[in-house]
Amino acid sequence: MIEKMRTGLADLCKKYDNIKISFSYQTWETDFLRFYQSQINYNIRRENVNLQVSIYKDKKPYSFAMSNPDLVKVEEKISESLEIIDSLPEDNDFVDLEKDTRIAEEHSVVNNVENVTLAQKIEILQKISEAVKKYNFEIYGTFIVNNVTNYIINSNGLNKAETYSPIMLEVKAVSKENQVTVLESFGSVSLEKLDVDKFLESLILKVQTAKFGVVDLPAKHYEVILAPRCIGEYLSYLTYGMTAGSLDQKESFFEGKINEKIFPENITLTDNPSDPDLIPFKYDGNGHLYQKTELIKNGVFKNFMVDNYYSYKTGLEENGANGSCLVMDEGDKDLAEMISGVKHGIYISSLHYMNFINPKETSLTGLTRDGTFLIENGELKNVVNNLRFTVKISDILNNITEIENKSSIVPFSENYGEFDISLIKMPHVKVNNFNITSSTKTI
Amino acid sequence: MKKLVYDIINKLNLPKIEFADVRLTSQDNEFIYFENGGFKSISKNFDDISLGIRVLINGTWGFAGTNKFDKTSIEKAMKRAIKNAETGSIFRRDKIKLSPHKAITGSYFFKPEKDPFLMKDDEKINYLGKIAKKLTTNDKIVHSYVYSEFFRQYKIYANTENTFVDSLVYDTKPVFNVLSSDGNHVYSRTFPGHMAGRRAGFEALEKMDFETNSEIVIKEAIDLLKAPIVEHEKADIIIGGGHLALQLHESVGHATEADRIFGKEISYAGKTFIKPDMLGNFKYGSDIVNIYSDSSDKNGMGFHIVDDEGIEGKKVNIIKNGVLVDQQTSREIAPLLGLEPSSNMIAVTGDNFPLVRMTNFCLAPGKGSLKDLISETENGYLVDNTKTWSIDDNRNNFQFTTEIGWKIKNGEIVGIVKEPTYYGITKDFWNACDRICGEEEWQYHGTFQCGKGEPGQALHLSHGVAPARFRNIAMNAKA
Repeated sequence: MIEKMRTGLADLCKKYDNIKISFSYQTWETDFLRFYQSQINYNIRRENVNLQVSIYKDKKPYSFAMSNPDLVKVEEKISESLEIIDSLPEDNDFVDLEKDTRIAEEHSVVNNVENVTLAQKIEILQKISEAVKKYNFEIYGTFIVNNVTNYIINSNGLNKAETYSPIMLEVKAVSKENQVTVLESFGSVSLEKLDVDKFLESLILKVQTAKFGVVDLPAKHYEVILAPRCIGEYLSYLTYGMTAGSLDQKESFFEGKINEKIFPENITLTDNPSDPDLIPFKYDGNGHLYQKTELIKNGVFKNFMVDNYYSYKTGLEENGANGSCLVMDEGDKDLAEMISGVKHGIYISSLHYMNFINPKETSLTGLTRDGTFLIENGELKNVVNNLRFTVKISDILNNITEIENKSSIVPFSENYGEFDISLIKMPHVKVNNFNITSSTKTI
Repeated sequence: MKKLVYDIINKLNLPKIEFADVRLTSQDNEFIYFENGGFKSISKNFDDISLGIRVLINGTWGFAGTNKFDKTSIEKAMKRAIKNAETGSIFRRDKIKLSPHKAITGSYFFKPEKDPFLMKDDEKINYLGKIAKKLTTNDKIVHSYVYSEFFRQYKIYANTENTFVDSLVYDTKPVFNVLSSDGNHVYSRTFPGHMAGRRAGFEALEKMDFETNSEIVIKEAIDLLKAPIVEHEKADIIIGGGHLALQLHESVGHATEADRIFGKEISYAGKTFIKPDMLGNFKYGSDIVNIYSDSSDKNGMGFHIVDDEGIEGKKVNIIKNGVLVDQQTSREIAPLLGLEPSSNMIAVTGDNFPLVRMTNFCLAPGKGSLKDLISETENGYLVDNTKTWSIDDNRNNFQFTTEIGWKIKNGEIVGIVKEPTYYGITKDFWNACDRICGEEEWQYHGTFQCGKGEPGQALHLSHGVAPARFRNIAMNAKA
C-alpha cells in the first residue's frame, strides 16, 4: 500500500512536468503512557497518515495538506491547484526545490510501537514505583514509543524514505511530604539499552539528596552547575540564531561572526546524526542528506544550519543541519570534582518555560525545575525553591569554567503537532556569575 | 459521518464498558503569508478528519485515535482503546467512577459574516498584499511579515449516555509584525498582538483596521530604537487588554485547571500552587477581581453545547470578589474537590485525549474608560503587546516583557519605553489590582496556541478582559 503510494507520487511528479512538486508523506504511530501518583493516567495509541504537497509553477507557490490521502484524491487536488496557481503572485525568493539525490546508508529499524508492549512498560514502572515508595515518593511522567516513516519525493528526482522509532522514558519522583521533585530519563532507539537497575540507582541517589529540607535563595549572581539537560536546552535555544532563516530575518546573534572566536576554547558543539547514541536521522525536512556539521569549534563559530530555501536566499551552502542531534564535547573534570570546588552555589537539574526576550542578543528568562540544590562547601545540601533566571546564553557560554569528562544522553520531546522525540548528548558544565533574578517561593 | 459515530458508540455499549465516548472532527485550515512585502505562500489543509474512542473499563481510561476511516482501522482503534484500558488497569490504584449525566442532543452552526472558505483566493491575497507593501515603506524596518490563518471545525460528540451533539465553528487569526534596526539593535512590534484569534470569519481582519494601525505600529517600532528603558525598581502599571489576556491566561487560567492539583500534568505543563483547602477562602485577588469560565458565550472561541465528555456549556465563577470559589474541572476530578463538573474537558481534534482546558476564561469588567484610568494614574506605565512570557511550574512566579510601554506622568502619557519587563508572584499581583476598566473597554482576545498535554494539543480559546491597573509591581529584571 505504502510502496504503491510512493510509486504513484513519483509518477505524478513526472506526469506534471510543467510544474515543480514536492511530496512529504508521513506515517506516524505513537503508543503513549502517562502516569501520575504511581498509577496510570491514560495510555493512548494513535496512528496518522498525512501528506504535505508543495507546488511551484515558475515562482508561484501553492501548498496543501491531506490526511490519509489516496492517489486519486491527490491528483484531484493537484488539478484544482493548477486552476488557482496562475492567479497567485510570485515568491521572488524561490529558486528551486531540493536537488540532493544522495541516499543515506541503510540501517535496520525495529518498530518499537509493536515491539514494546504496554504490559512491559507497566512492569518497569511498577518496579520503579516500588523502589521510591520506601522514601515516601511517588512517580509521575511519560513512557513513549513512536514509529515514524517519512517519504520525500519531488520533481528533481528525490525519492527517499527514512524510518525511526525512538523510546523515551521520563520519570519524576515527587515527595509526598513536600513535593520535592527529582528527574531521571532514558532515550534510545532500543529498549535493550534501558538498564532498569542503573536507572533506579541514579534516581534513588537523587531521591536521597532531597532529604535535607527546602530553602529559599535570594536573587543574585551564583556559581552554578548545569546538568546535561540544562546546558543542552540553552544550546538548543542558541541554535535558533544559527539557522539561515534567523540570519535572513535579521534576528541572528551569529550574523557576521563566521570563523570568529566568540566563546572560550573549550566550547565545541556539533550537530551529529551519526553519533551512535543518538537517533540516526538521515535527511532534513526537504530530503537533503543530514550529516555531521561543526557549529562551534574551540569557541569559533563555524557554520550556519542551512536548508534549501534559505541557501538560495542567503547564498550560504546548504548542509541539511537542523540541530536535532546536538553533541557538546566533553571536558576533563569529574562531576564530583566539579561539585567539590563550589563554595556556595547551585546545582540545577532541569529548566522550565524559557522564552527569548531578545533573540539577537540571546537574552531570555526561564525557571529551574525538578531538583534545584544548594551546594555548600563542595557538597550538595538543601533543596532550593525553584528560581527564575534572566540571562544571555552567550554570557553562560563565556562563563563556563569547567566541563565534565563524560556525557549523558538527554531525550527531548517536540510537543506541538505530532509528538516527536530527539536525543542530544551533553556533559555537566560549571558556570560563573549566573543571574538569578527572583525566587518562585515554591517547589 | 453521523452514522459512523452512531454505529461506533452503539458497539461500545457493552457490559464491561462503564462509559465511552466518541469524537469525530473534520477541519479546514488556510494560511496566507507575506514577508518583506512579497508573497510567500498560501497553504490549505482541507478535510482533515480524525476520530477518537475513549473507554472507561475497570476504573481506567483507554484511548485510541486514527485518521484512517476504513472499517479495519476503526475496528482496530476500538479494540486498542479497550485493550489499553484493560491492561492499564493493572497499574491503576484509584478507580475512576463517573456520576451519570443527562443525555444532551443538539446542533450549533456558527455563521461568519464573511466566509473565508467561500471567498476567492485573489480577494484575500490582495487584501493582505496591500498591508504587506505598507510595512516596507521605511528603511529602518528591516523585516516584516503579515499573515492570516482561517480555520473551521465540524465536530460530532457522542457518548454512552445518549448524548449526541454536532457543531461547526469558524476562527480567524490575522497578525502583522515589523522589525526595526539601527544596525546594532533590533526591536519588534506586532499587531494586534499575541492574542489575535477571534471567533469570526474574514470580517475579523476588516474590524482590526490593519491599514491605519500599520502606520502607527511602524512609527512605534522606529521610535523604540531611541526609546529609554524602564529605570524604576517598582512602578504602577496599567496592562492593556491584549497582554492582560495572557497575564490572566498564565497566572489564573492554567493555575485553576484542577487536574494540576492532582499532578496529572507534572510531566509536562506543570502543577499549580492551589491546594484543595484553598477553595472558598483563598484571597486570590483584590475585592474587585471577578474571574469566570463561560463556555456558554457564543462570542468566544471556547463556546460549546457540551464539552468533550458531555457536560453542557456553562458559566462558572472561579474567583468571586477576590476569593477562589471554584475550579475548571472534569467529571473525574470535580467530585474529588466536592464540585460540579465545569464543562472544561476539551480535545483539540478527534484523535486526541480530552483534558481540562480553558474555554472562554474572563476577567469581569469594572468601571470607566482607559482614558480615565490613565488620567487617574500619577506615575507609572501602560504596557501592552506581549514579547516574552514565562511562568513557573506552580503558576506562582511570572515574568513578562512587552514590546512597548508608555510612560505616564501626572495622568498623561509622556513618551514610550522599550521592552518593559515586570515580574511578580501570582497572589500578590492580583491583590495589587485596584482598577479594572468598564464594559466599553472589555473585549475578547484569543489564541490558537494554548499548549497542554502529551501528545501536545494546541487549543483555540478566548479571554474577555478590559485594561486594569496594578500597584507597585517589580520591574527591575535585566539579563
